[in-house]
Amino acid sequence: MTVTAAPGVRPTPAVPARAAQATARPRDLTAVVRGRRLIVCTGSGGVGKTTTAAALALGAARRGRRTVVLTIDPARRLAQSLGLRALDNSPRPVRGVEGLHAMQLDMKRTFDDVVERYAPDPARAARIRSNRFYEQLSSSLAGTQEYMAMEKLHGLHVAGEWDCIVVDTPPTRHALDFLDAPRRLTDFLEGRLLKVFLAPGLAAGKTLGRAVGLGTGLFMRAASRITGSQVLDDLGGFFQAFEGMYDGFKRRAQSVYGLLQEPGSAFVVIAGPEVPALREARFFLRRLQHEGMPTAGVVVNRTTPPPDPALAGLDRGAVAAAAARLDGGVAERTTAQLLRLHLDRVDVVAREQRTIAAALRGLDPPALVQVPLMDSDIHDLGGLAAVGRYLYQDG
Amino acid sequence: MESTRLWEPRVLIVTGKGGVGKSSVAAALALAAVRRGRGRPGRTCLVEIEGRQTFSRMFDTRPWDFTEREFRPGLFGMSIDPEASLSEYLDLFYGARRLSKLVVGSTMVDFATTAAPGLKDVLLVGKVKEMERRRDPDGRFHYDRIILDAPPTGRIVNFLRAPEATTELVNVGPVRQQAQTVVDMLLDGRRTHLQLVTLLEEMPIAETVDSVHALRSLGVTVGPVVVNRVMPARFDEEGAATLADGLGPTQVAGMVGRGGLALDPAAAAALRETGLRHLRRLALQERMRRELAARVDLPTLELPYVAGDDFGHRELSVLADAILRATDPGR
Ligand SMILES: Nc1ncnc2c1ncn2[C@@H]1O[C@H](COP(=O)(O)OP(=O)(O)OP(=O)(O)O)[C@@H](O)[C@H]1O
Ligand SMILES: [Mg+2]
Repeated sequence: MTVTAAPGVRPTPAVPARAAQATARPRDLTAVVRGRRLIVCTGSGGVGKTTTAAALALGAARRGRRTVVLTIDPARRLAQSLGLRALDNSPRPVRGVEGLHAMQLDMKRTFDDVVERYAPDPARAARIRSNRFYEQLSSSLAGTQEYMAMEKLHGLHVAGEWDCIVVDTPPTRHALDFLDAPRRLTDFLEGRLLKVFLAPGLAAGKTLGRAVGLGTGLFMRAASRITGSQVLDDLGGFFQAFEGMYDGFKRRAQSVYGLLQEPGSAFVVIAGPEVPALREARFFLRRLQHEGMPTAGVVVNRTTPPPDPALAGLDRGAVAAAAARLDGGVAERTTAQLLRLHLDRVDVVAREQRTIAAALRGLDPPALVQVPLMDSDIHDLGGLAAVGRYLYQDG
Repeated sequence: MESTRLWEPRVLIVTGKGGVGKSSVAAALALAAVRRGRGRPGRTCLVEIEGRQTFSRMFDTRPWDFTEREFRPGLFGMSIDPEASLSEYLDLFYGARRLSKLVVGSTMVDFATTAAPGLKDVLLVGKVKEMERRRDPDGRFHYDRIILDAPPTGRIVNFLRAPEATTELVNVGPVRQQAQTVVDMLLDGRRTHLQLVTLLEEMPIAETVDSVHALRSLGVTVGPVVVNRVMPARFDEEGAATLADGLGPTQVAGMVGRGGLALDPAAAAALRETGLRHLRRLALQERMRRELAARVDLPTLELPYVAGDDFGHRELSVLADAILRATDPGR
């Protein structure tokens, strides 16, 4: 039985740091942390996006680049990863790493800031912020989080003080939502949906709120039966107050979209070794290709490390036979279990590698890195550095 | 074992951190519910709401939709979409009057659910509530058990709060009424449990602890915590102790030799290391188990890690058996 080394697999290093350095492959993310200005980590929920984002940011900072990692995860995982107690809506230096900053997106605050900054006058900003529909929109509507991530990204980018911005993406159902949601929100803000139904007799948004309140038209009458008229009044009031601000929203979303397409940007697609996560990664990789977005590579996180090369020459049948013969005392029993454990591990590794290869068939990402399941959880800089050793060469 | 409490309510809403195995556990719970009900004709329905076709893939059936279909004896499955749910509800509420005809249509649902974002969730859970209340002509409940594969913990609070928020926003009409009855169902611990799924790992546990608090402050009842993908110990206690000190690489090579296989010293050391790694992972798992017990005052139900190329009926059966062993020990 032999385990053929699959692409991206590194032998389990006995001394992780040095061994990894020695065996680092050209297909890792060293060039990405060294040179890219914007790194976006995407993937389906629970695959380790936040950890990977933080580890990449650490790698960039260790190369002397002024780096900020923007996390969007409500579970405060990055805070744990970086040993920070609380993250607010602006970058904070990470103690112990020169040049590394971390922040967590506060969706509502970002939206409030955007309204504050772009409303034509303070009275209008106040009107928007006190609208009940705005309250829902800014705190819960699907897509708002992705849009606000883009706003924040835009803000960090134009501030011009960062050599490298690493972005973690919201825990969406589909990795694709990160690309699609902002456009959906701007379409919505533009009021396209509303205009379709309100267009007749409605020239300007000014009369929109009143019209909704009055419930003109069959459609609106039906709608208010379902949602109640108060909801439609709130909605109308919101659009009225928002009039004239859509263009800015759209422009900024487009500008970020353009930024993402630049060669200085990099998408890192993260998955686990399971079928669903890898299937999602495949969809996303194809989508990136289609949109002309710069794909930097794939990280398969938490893979089972292959057995030590010293065991590679063992014949499967012989191992199984030996295990079957050993059933004497505790030492024999335990040894038999060791042999079975080894065989199981070989099976798991083979299965994972098959799954990975099948998911990436025909895609050939520029980098493919596998980060093995670690013996302990990752919650500090040491843990991030350990992950980093698989992602890039020491700086 | 207190995990017998699992079957108290008829509606189980399964949630957990992304990727921990919510859908797999929901499916296994459904299989277990059916097996448990054997001997008495009963029905269990497994419900999906995000249209991902997770279950049709797992059970290798035709795609699921708004029709409840029996795909295994006693086991039904359906996929709820807000639009179908709304039009069905309006038909019930208004009879087949013109309004409901007009209203049926995705644009209308899009519009209404955008205007009141929580509405979509009300419509989804509203359908579950209808199924829960449905009775057969003989007066018995149509379903013994309904298992909902719900959004992950990051979104579950908004999801469950939607009906309540809707009652605050909408003061009359069909939706208001629907929202109110949904709230009643969600807040009644005899009817509904939130079923958290977690792993013996730091992040999932942290998220579970947060969720238990958040869910309880909503007023819902949280059932026993399902701990998924638990790695079984491969060595008995004596064996683990022997491996940790008595059994060095030379002894391992000797033992393997007795089994008729020659191992060089490097291979023997590596083989031993495989075992030690397993023990380290078990120790970590045990630490996490204690942490969970210390921070969450709920019974737990552990499900083993099941290896397999694709997660399908066989793997789910193993999980269902484990569930039944824990909840119905006397069986
Ligand atoms: N007990 C188990 N043993 C081994 N593998 C498991 C187990 N439970 C789930 N899995 C695997 O974990 C992966 C994720 O499972 P599943 O789709 O059920 O998670 P989920 O929580 O529903 O994910 P999502 O958040 O994407 O909805 C699947 O590949 C599944 O096969
Ligand atoms: Mg799922």
